[in-house]
Amino acid sequence: MSRITSFLRARPWAWSFIAAAAVWLATVAYTGGQGAGEILTAALSFATFAIIVGLGQMMVISTGPGNVDLSIPATITLSGVVAMKVMDTDSSRMLIGIVAALACALAVGVFNFVLIRLLRIPPIIATLSSSFLVLSTAISYGRGIRIKPPPPLADFATARIAGIPIAAVFVLLITVLIAFALRRTFYGRSVLAVGQNERAAWLAGISVDRTRFITYVLSALLSGVCGIVLSGFSGGAALNMGEDFLLSSIAVVVIGGTSVAGGRASVPGIWGAALFMFLLVTMLNTFGASAGLRFMLTGLIIITVIVLAGGEKESR
Amino acid sequence: MLKTLLACTIAVSALLAAGPASAETKDKKIALSNNYAGNSWRQAMLKSWDKVTKKAVADGIVAAADPFTTSENQVTEQAAQIQNLILQGYNAIVINAASPDALNGVVKQACDAGIIVVSFDGIVKEPCAWRIAVDFQAMGASEVEYLAKKMPEGGNVLEIRGLAGVFVDDEISKGINDTLAKYPQFKNVGNVHGNWAQEVAQKEVAGILPSLPEIKAVVTQGGDGYGAAQAFAAAGRPTPLIIMGNRQDELQWWKEQKDKNGYETMSVSIAPGVSTLAFWVAQMILDGKEVPKDLTVPFLRIDQDTLEANLANTEKGGVANVEYTAEDAAKVVAGK
Repeated sequence: MSRITSFLRARPWAWSFIAAAAVWLATVAYTGGQGAGEILTAALSFATFAIIVGLGQMMVISTGPGNVDLSIPATITLSGVVAMKVMDTDSSRMLIGIVAALACALAVGVFNFVLIRLLRIPPIIATLSSSFLVLSTAISYGRGIRIKPPPPLADFATARIAGIPIAAVFVLLITVLIAFALRRTFYGRSVLAVGQNERAAWLAGISVDRTRFITYVLSALLSGVCGIVLSGFSGGAALNMGEDFLLSSIAVVVIGGTSVAGGRASVPGIWGAALFMFLLVTMLNTFGASAGLRFMLTGLIIITVIVLAGGEKESR
Repeated sequence: MLKTLLACTIAVSALLAAGPASAETKDKKIALSNNYAGNSWRQAMLKSWDKVTKKAVADGIVAAADPFTTSENQVTEQAAQIQNLILQGYNAIVINAASPDALNGVVKQACDAGIIVVSFDGIVKEPCAWRIAVDFQAMGASEVEYLAKKMPEGGNVLEIRGLAGVFVDDEISKGINDTLAKYPQFKNVGNVHGNWAQEVAQKEVAGILPSLPEIKAVVTQGGDGYGAAQAFAAAGRPTPLIIMGNRQDELQWWKEQKDKNGYETMSVSIAPGVSTLAFWVAQMILDGKEVPKDLTVPFLRIDQDTLEANLANTEKGGVANVEYTAEDAAKVVAGK
């Protein structure tokens, strides 16, 4: 028993996987085993998108208190719209489309940092206001037109082998890269150092500005990737395609065990939390809960998971 | 200072409003106060407004018809916006409201200043304003009536709802479920909230689908049919009869299926051009015509035989649309 608690204590992310497994089992028990595998496949497919942006959000939040990227939904929309419009359903234009979309995302990241650093606007306000500008750009550029993705992109986003979505494998690669960066690279260590104590990090010779700059750009780029893949997955870009990700990008970070105060990131927790969030809604839908009850239970269960994960940390 | 200005404006507007009801509205200014522009329906709504009112201004029917949209879909923001419009001396304000109740105070202010207020789609409850409403319950009912005729043997139905807590969602769902109760051969086996967005609908349907038995039909609220179709395809399930909501991507998908295997369904929603109906109603009221306070807009329904014509008229990414003329508006006012 004590071995289990010490295992959990060292791994705050484990709670999110336990919670995900619990809601999955509850759903499968309710349906009498029907659709158990399909539910997991669907969860993997849709969790993919929350994971991509969640990783970016995690890096931003890890750079210290007050750092958060609220421009993620707008950036997803802009890059999706730009990608689809530049590609114009033509497979040979895919690369240009991807480059154009990522360039737009990059610009958003740079712009966010400029607002935060040069104009000294708190990140929460800076990224929220930049998201208005970004979304307006997307609206005036795209005019709500849904252009289908070129077939190779759609295939990439929706294909699965033995029930495992290809996109999820692609995101697993990104996840491993980020985990590696956090543990083994100067940049990754700097993020955590800056998040733990900005002044100490600065005294140790770390460039706080450069670390934050890279982080905000990284978050925007990941949002850009999400926008492109999501457009491929859902048959085109829409103006409200990012809306879902404002809260979920933050929720997967927090439920996953990353410290909101910064300085401690939990990469695997993003996966557990994203799967949990999807499976939770699936479970409540399957039970046929009404919308009000669904929202209430979602809130209560999320609080419970956070308290459980957080409570363990306190006792350290 | 502001108070004096307001008092002056009110006085001037009152004078204008108190003037004899002439058939001339060429000096009148109409404003559109819109709470949201972030989806294809709203974009089409604004475009229709632009097209029809620009022509009306050019033809000298009204002096101005300016659209204003708030950025954050918030009541406080729209209230402040309407207050500005009152001060700017518009003769009529056409509103798509963020809330049916919360704008009542500022709408009353506008009425007291002698301004005609016409609300549509998102209507306001303040009695001094006109309301152009959609019978959403009838819209939901029409979907089930269609199913009952199309598949008399019945079957399992999946319901995709809209944004939880919004009046429109409750109304359409009530229409659907009240009518389903009349046909016991149909069973509502599950419902999800698709928030009128294809991505959300796709996600929610994909989540609940594995736990459901075979689905014969999907009833929707618009903006969610294409996402539902994608979810069924991804799950490798046979495509059920999915009611569509007039979005171009939905109609396009329907057309592809129809050409491939004779797929049959119907599509129903409100035409975004209802904004132009509201414009003409405001113009008629300014013109001194007698207009009842509560009007109902017909919804736009597309069937198997009208699909091609409607698809051809709908631009890529848009919504099937009808723009209203002054004559159409007169017909709606007369109750047809």
